[in-house]
Parts: sequence; structure tokens; C-alpha cells
Amino acid sequence: MSGAQYVAAIDPARDVFRLPRWRWRRPNLLLIVCVVIGLWLVLVPLAGLLLTAFTEDTGLGFGAFTFDNFVEAYSSERMLPLIGNSLIYASGTAIVTFAIGGAIAWVVERTDAPGSTLFHNLALISFAIPGLLLAMAWIFVLSPNIGWVNAALKSAFGLRAAPFNIYSMAGMIWTLSSHYFPLAYLILGPALRALDVRMEEAGVVSGARYRQVLPKITLPLLRPAILSGLLLLFIMGLSSYEVPRVIGLPARIDVFTTAIQNATVETPPEFGVASALSLTLLGVCLVAVYFYRRATRNAEAFATITGKGYMPTRIALGRWRWPVSIGIVGVFLIALGVPLFTLAWQSFFSNLSQPFMNSPPSATLANYAYILRYPIFLDAVRTSVLVSAMAATFAVALTLVMAWIARRSASRLAWLLDALASAPIAIPSVIIGASILFTYLVIPIGVYDTIWILFIAYATLALPYGMRFASNGIAQIHRELEEAAEISGALPGQVLWRVVLPLLLPFLLAAWIYTFVLSVRELGASIFLIGPGTNVLATISLTMWEEGGSYGAVAALGILQIAPLLLIVAGLRYLETRVHRRTRGGSAMARSTG
Amino acid sequence: MFAIENLHKSFLAAGAEVRAVDGISLEVETGKLITLLGPSGCGKTTTLRCLAGLERPQTGRIVIGNRTVFDSAKRVFVAASDRGIGMVFQSYAIWPHMSVFENVAFPLRVSRAKKYSAAEIRERVSRMLDLVQLTGFAWRPATQLSGGQQQRLAFARGLVHEPAILLLDEPLSNLDAKLREQMRLELKRLQRSLGITTVYVTHDQSEALALSDEIAVFDSGRIVQRGAPQDIYRQPNSRFVADFVGSANFLPGTVRGTQGNLTRVDTAHGLMHCIFAEPIDAGMRALVIARPEDILLFDGAAVGAPTDGLNALNGKIVNRVFLGEVVDYIVDLGDRELRARLRSDEFQIGQAVTLGLPPQKCVGLPG
Ligand SMILES: Nc1ncnc2c1ncn2[C@@H]1O[C@H](COP(=O)(O)OP(=O)(O)OP(=O)(O)O)[C@@H](O)[C@H]1O
Ligand SMILES: [Mg+2]
Repeated sequence: MSGAQYVAAIDPARDVFRLPRWRWRRPNLLLIVCVVIGLWLVLVPLAGLLLTAFTEDTGLGFGAFTFDNFVEAYSSERMLPLIGNSLIYASGTAIVTFAIGGAIAWVVERTDAPGSTLFHNLALISFAIPGLLLAMAWIFVLSPNIGWVNAALKSAFGLRAAPFNIYSMAGMIWTLSSHYFPLAYLILGPALRALDVRMEEAGVVSGARYRQVLPKITLPLLRPAILSGLLLLFIMGLSSYEVPRVIGLPARIDVFTTAIQNATVETPPEFGVASALSLTLLGVCLVAVYFYRRATRNAEAFATITGKGYMPTRIALGRWRWPVSIGIVGVFLIALGVPLFTLAWQSFFSNLSQPFMNSPPSATLANYAYILRYPIFLDAVRTSVLVSAMAATFAVALTLVMAWIARRSASRLAWLLDALASAPIAIPSVIIGASILFTYLVIPIGVYDTIWILFIAYATLALPYGMRFASNGIAQIHRELEEAAEISGALPGQVLWRVVLPLLLPFLLAAWIYTFVLSVRELGASIFLIGPGTNVLATISLTMWEEGGSYGAVAALGILQIAPLLLIVAGLRYLETRVHRRTRGGSAMARSTG
Repeated sequence: MFAIENLHKSFLAAGAEVRAVDGISLEVETGKLITLLGPSGCGKTTTLRCLAGLERPQTGRIVIGNRTVFDSAKRVFVAASDRGIGMVFQSYAIWPHMSVFENVAFPLRVSRAKKYSAAEIRERVSRMLDLVQLTGFAWRPATQLSGGQQQRLAFARGLVHEPAILLLDEPLSNLDAKLREQMRLELKRLQRSLGITTVYVTHDQSEALALSDEIAVFDSGRIVQRGAPQDIYRQPNSRFVADFVGSANFLPGTVRGTQGNLTRVDTAHGLMHCIFAEPIDAGMRALVIARPEDILLFDGAAVGAPTDGLNALNGKIVNRVFLGEVVDYIVDLGDRELRARLRSDEFQIGQAVTLGLPPQKCVGLPG
């Protein structure tokens, strides 16, 4: 979501090799502080995880060294299906999201189909929807018993059995894909945009038709982007917890994330087994990350990004323009519109009510009244908002300093900052939650069962995103803008405060809101870390769903979360486009007269 | 006034050492404008950045005013923010999030040597803006200025805190030719009236000749010649300088002897008289250098052309390039071509001509 940037400050001809080095002593101290915080957040829980995995479960701290946890985990007859399910689920989601997202990216970036701004905004805004609530909504749509689409099809075609079953592997893949396809679009779009059309044109000029150019030139050029995108989506599928929990669990389709969580709630809790499973999952993720890095490593060889003044010519779809656009609107409507509509519909009725089916009982606001007066809900809102805001603020501030030092410091430690801050992207939130739990059960600093343990988890999970925003932003600030301040007599702190920070403000705002929303949605780690007084929105939603709250109340609870989140993200998007337009206009003028 | 002594700065680029600055010494008096001139990649920017404190040299010493700001032996390194310099960057580095006024006010706001009151800041900034003819632009967003205006703004920002020296890294290279010429004059006027010691980096030799009190010609991290613009142009001390500053014709030969201030050099095209800066012995190899605009042309058919007292060469015109005010004629001498620059366009391609080279304007170099 990095739209806003000061175009005037961007120099396409930046000297790449001349990385600035600053020679002051203080950043070394700052650097060490950042490294220590990063190490603490990332490595301490992983160390706890390792210790738990390789020691006996004593219930109280770590016992003697042992392999028993692994033996126990791997000897279970559920292990093989577990691995199979996880891989099928993750690769299925990667492929489906990729196909949908790729098609949208191609239409938006490469063709003249109308509505590309709308699609882009929809994709950005849709990430505000918590996956847990979307999964619940899909159950209202496609469950064999209560799903209204099934009911409607049954009555329309006189079917005996429900045509769709959400409680299946396909159902799980579809549900997660409906959530992640905008992400796939956002990952692929920039690659398609950066592709130099002149390469395609060179193909056309040498006599190829577009349908030959696509497989012969376009796709090979995009290979690194395609591979890395697929791997990223695969990792995200492996890490996903919400869908396996609300759909996979009743369907008895176990994946790693749910198995890990299950082990910790056994009586007695099997922390050792949970850790052994976590390490296995982490291993798979790391292998995927390794291939991801390999796919992106040679990206420069495919350097397709050209400087200024290049205007991609779009493929004219002719009379297919509108049908293609309407098709994409249809995708958004089916994947996100239908479940959200269903959830909203249900929230106005106490008992199960299927839209478009027989006459509904009269609508009521009773569900909302109930939720808004429900003390646990109010507490959860307070906790969620407070902890998420704290974590977002902390993570954005920390990664800003980290990214700045990583770029400006000559120290050999600088790369470590980037590596540390990016590491959590490869660690599923369930593992972060579990390892933080194991660690702070043992480390007696009194965070267990308080909001601070949630804060630690959210801050850790937010690091990679904060780092991306901050370093993208800093990369766009021409080095001379900082040097000019230094020459003018500004101290490093003043350079950061008066030049870097204001220029980065749009990026930081976006980073803050992104990480804030991410934390409010968070379930996989929270579920390990909540205590009696520290419920968060995601966990109470899950509890209410699983412990049989009325359909209406659950739906109202969902809408009460989705609506504000959507508003926040849409508001940010609006602000961003405005800032963007303003600075664009300014620099365009500077350029035309200069 | 500032002085640089034996400065070395090398970079590691892809594992190999690049000696960007390879032993440079330079001292410049207060109020002078010195130009660092040289081809791309010869270390001009690096020298400037070392002087500014943006780059840390490996060895050497830098003194600004009477303060040592860098001394590798004594491990002195004063940060850029404490050197009291002004700098105009090639990209201008105008802060896009500040107004024109705030851009100029910034050095005053962060000043530690002296605290400025709001009224003082307003006063000084508007004086600077007047000086660079940006009166009335103060509250514009800085991004809404044209290229030339941004350049002047950068200049105002570089000067507002009354720096001891002003550093300019190709400040005009982003402007179009007309504007560049105009800004060049303006810059010179400002520099003169403020009397500020200025270092100007460029690879444009006409800019260097027009602006400088002194030129230092760089080649591969070293200064190969220093002097007033006329001296550099008239008395280049190497083929490289002669070639880089202006254009030049070269005729190799052997020294035959010296008479008065003229030395005779035997070339493939006859005996030539020229001036050597240093005495040179007979029998040595030498190079005679002649600027195109010093060469006279005579119709070869006209017998007894008035070439008395000139070095005379015979050739045939093979090309002519019309440049507006002047015409360049390429004359084929048989084994090489010479370029002559004349106001007259009376000569034609294919015409046999005699070239006349005034001995006082022919420079001889050992070679
Ligand atoms: N940070 C750096 N890392 C590696 N090499 C560098 C770095 N900065 C400069 N160099 C090298 O040092 C040499 C001198 O560079 P410098 O920028 O000083 O040249 P210049 O004279 O300013 O050239 P130009 O006229 O093109 O600006 C070049 O060979 C350049 O590649
Ligand atoms: Mg340079």
C-alpha cells in the first residue's frame, strides 16, 4: 500500500554502488540497541521453542535433553495425513489465488479494460477483513446444513443432497483463496507493471503475434516474479490458522497449525510435541523461503524496470473490454461480496435466516444491542485496540530506525537488522504464539497473562511489514536530501527528525495502519497468549462461534469488527491517493518548467 | 581559505580497489573560485565530498580557515555538520516537504554556533531570496519551482548561513543551454559580490574557463595541471590537458635547437617554430600543439602566400563544418588531419590550402 511518495525526491539515476556511510559514533550505540531488541524479539522465542522441543516435558521449565517429543510426534498415525493435508492445502491455495490474482493483475496492468483503479482499491481495502470472520461467513453460505446457497440450489433443482460442502479440503482452499486472491494480485501487479513493454514490442516487431509473445517473452521474463509469488502464497497457506480452525477442525482435516495448537490444550498439555511439530513446520517454511530467495536472487538479470518516460501501451480488448471488467467485478462479488452480505444479513435476525429463501421473520437490531452491551466484547475491544496500537507504534518506530541505520550505516552489523526484522515473515503466527508462550512461562519477567505478552507477539509479527514500508520509503529519498541537511549543520538526530521523518510520513502512516489492522485481526498467536482478563476480538469471536452463541449474535459481532476495519483502511487509501495526487502535480510542474 | 594535503580516498567496488582520489594537494585563497575540471570518473566529486566531510578519506589533511577538519595522522575528523560549509548538489536536493522559505531557513534553524531569533531568520531568508531573485516565492511549496528556480533556491540555502566555503557539484548540468549560460553569469556575479571561497566541479571546459579564477585539471584521481584559465588554455603542460581543455592539433617531431624564445622542431611536414615552457635539448622527441582558432588558411594556388614568419604547412580541405559564427575546416596533411577554425567561409572542400601557424601560439611539449 505504498502509494504516497514524493516523486520529486526520487532520482531514477541514483548511483547504486555509492551507498552512503555515516561516520558518527552514536548510531553504533543505536545500532546495537536495535540489534538487541531484534534478537530478543525473534531469537529468544525460537530458543525457547528449541529447548522445549528437545527437553522432557516437566510441566515446570525444561527437563533433560531428549528426542522423545519428536518420536512421539512422528510416530503418531496422524502424522502422514497431517503433512499431506498441509501441503495440499498450502499449494492448492497458492495455485487458486495465483490464478485469480494473476488474471486480475494482467487485466489491470496490461489491458484497457475499465475500472482498474476500482479493482486496485478493492484489493487494498479487502485486507481489512479478518480471515476468521470470512471463514464463518462462508459457512453461512456453503455449509451443507445451514448454507443458503446450498438450500437455494437444492430447492431450485430439486436436489436431494447439498451440492457444495464447505467442510472439505476444497472448501478450505476456496475459503482461504477468497481471502488471499487480492494479495496475489498485489504481489503480481508490480511485476507486470515493471515489465518493459518494449521487450514485448520487440517480439511483435519481429513478427510474433501476441499469443506467441505471451508464452515466449512475457512469461519467461516474469518467471522470477511468478515463482516468488507462488512460494510466498504457499508459505502464507502453511501459516494460515483461521480457516483450518473453523472449517478444518469440524471436517477432521488437520494441518500443522491446528495440530500444534491442539497439542497445547491437551490435558496434560504436550508442549514438547507442539514444539516438535512447530519445528517441522518451520523447517518446511524455511525450505520454501530458500527457494523464494533463489527465485528472487537472479531478478536483476531480468532487470526489466526502465527509467522515466515510458508509458505502457495497453492491449485493446475491443468489445471484450466491458465483459472482462464485469467478470472481475463478479470475482470480487462472489469471493468477498457474497459472504459479507450473508454475514450482514444474518446479523439482523436472531435465528438462522437464509437470504432469498422463504419469507424471513422481521429484522431486528437486537443482536447489535446485545453485543454492544456484552461486557466481554467491550473488554476485548479495549484490549485489542490498545495492544494493537501499542504494537503498531512500537514496530513502526523500531523498524524506521532499523531501516535507516541499515541503509546509512557502514557497519557490518547493518544487514543483520534487515534479516532480523524480516525473519518473522517465515514464522507462522501459531509458532510465534506457541514459542512466546513457552518462553515467557519460563522467563520470570511477569508478562505471562498480561497484555504485554500479546504486545510482544504483535510487535514481532509486525516487524517484517514495518521494515518493508520503512525501507521502501527510505530507498526513495535521494541521499543528497539528507546530505544537504548535514551540510547545513544538522545533527544526525535532526536529519532524521526534520528531513527523513516528514518525507516518510505517508509511508509510516500506511505502515502503522497496516500493522494495526494486522494485529486487530490476529488469531493464531493470540490464542496461545490470552489470559482471563485479556481477551481480544479474534479470540472472543472464535469462542462465541464454537461455544454456540446464536447465529445472529455471532454475525453481529463479525460485522461490528469488519465495518470499522474497512472504514479505517478505506480512509487511509483515500488519504494516500490525495497525498499522491498533490505531490505528483507539484513535481510534474517542476519538471515541465525545468 | 582552505588547503588539502596529499589526500587519498579509495573505494572497494566489486572487490577491486578504485583509487578515486590519489594524492591530491590544493590550497585556495579566500574569495577565489577554483574549478575542478576533468573527465567523468576522475575523482572530482569524491574530492568535493571529502572536503565537505561526506566522505572519509584514508589519508591526508584538510584545513578550512585555520581549523584542521581532517587529519588522518592525528585521527581528526570533523563531521560535515560542523564544517561550516555551503553546498549545492547536482540534484539540488531541495526538500520537497518544505516551502521555499523553510528550505532556506533550515541551516539557520539548526545552527549551533549562533542562535537566530525568528525575526532574524525572516530577515536573512528574505535577503537571500532577494539576492537570488526569488522574492515573492517564499511560501510556494518547493516542488513548484522550475529547474532554474530550484537551482537558485539551492544556492540561497547553501549561502544563508554564511559558510566559509561554498561547494558546487555540477550545479548547472541539469539546465538547458540557454539557462545555463545565464545562470553562469549570475553565479559569478554572486560569488564576486559575496567574496566567498568557492569550489566548482564540472566537466564542461567552457564553463570552467568562463567562471574560474583558477582551474585544477583532474585525471584519474590526480591533479595534472593548475593555473589561471588563460594559462591552462595557452600553456597546457600535457597532451591530456591540451586535448581536454579546448580542442588542439598535435604534430610530433624532433627538437633541432633553440633560438631566443623559439625552439625549432623538425616534423614530418617541415620545420616548425614553437615555444617551450622548459628549455629542451636538441634531439629530444617533442609534440607541437596548435589551437584551431590560431591557424590561418591561404589559398594554395596563390603562389607566394604571405606566410612570412609563420609555420607553413600544405594540405587539402577534406571537410568543412558550419558552426554559425565560425567554420571548422578539416585539412588533410597526408598522414594526419588538422582542424582550423575561421570566421571566413570562403574555402571549399577539395581546395588545396596553405596553413599558417604563428610560432608564438604554437606550444611545444616534450614527448
Ligand atoms: N561509493 C563508491 N564506491 C565505489 N566506487 C566509487 C564510489 N564513489 C566513487 N567511486 C569511483 O571513484 C571514481 C571517481 O568518482 P567521482 O564520482 O569522484 O568522479 P567524478 O570525477 O565526479 O565523475 P563525474 O564527472 O562523472 O561526476 C569513479 O571511478 C567511481 O566509480
Ligand atoms: Mg561527479
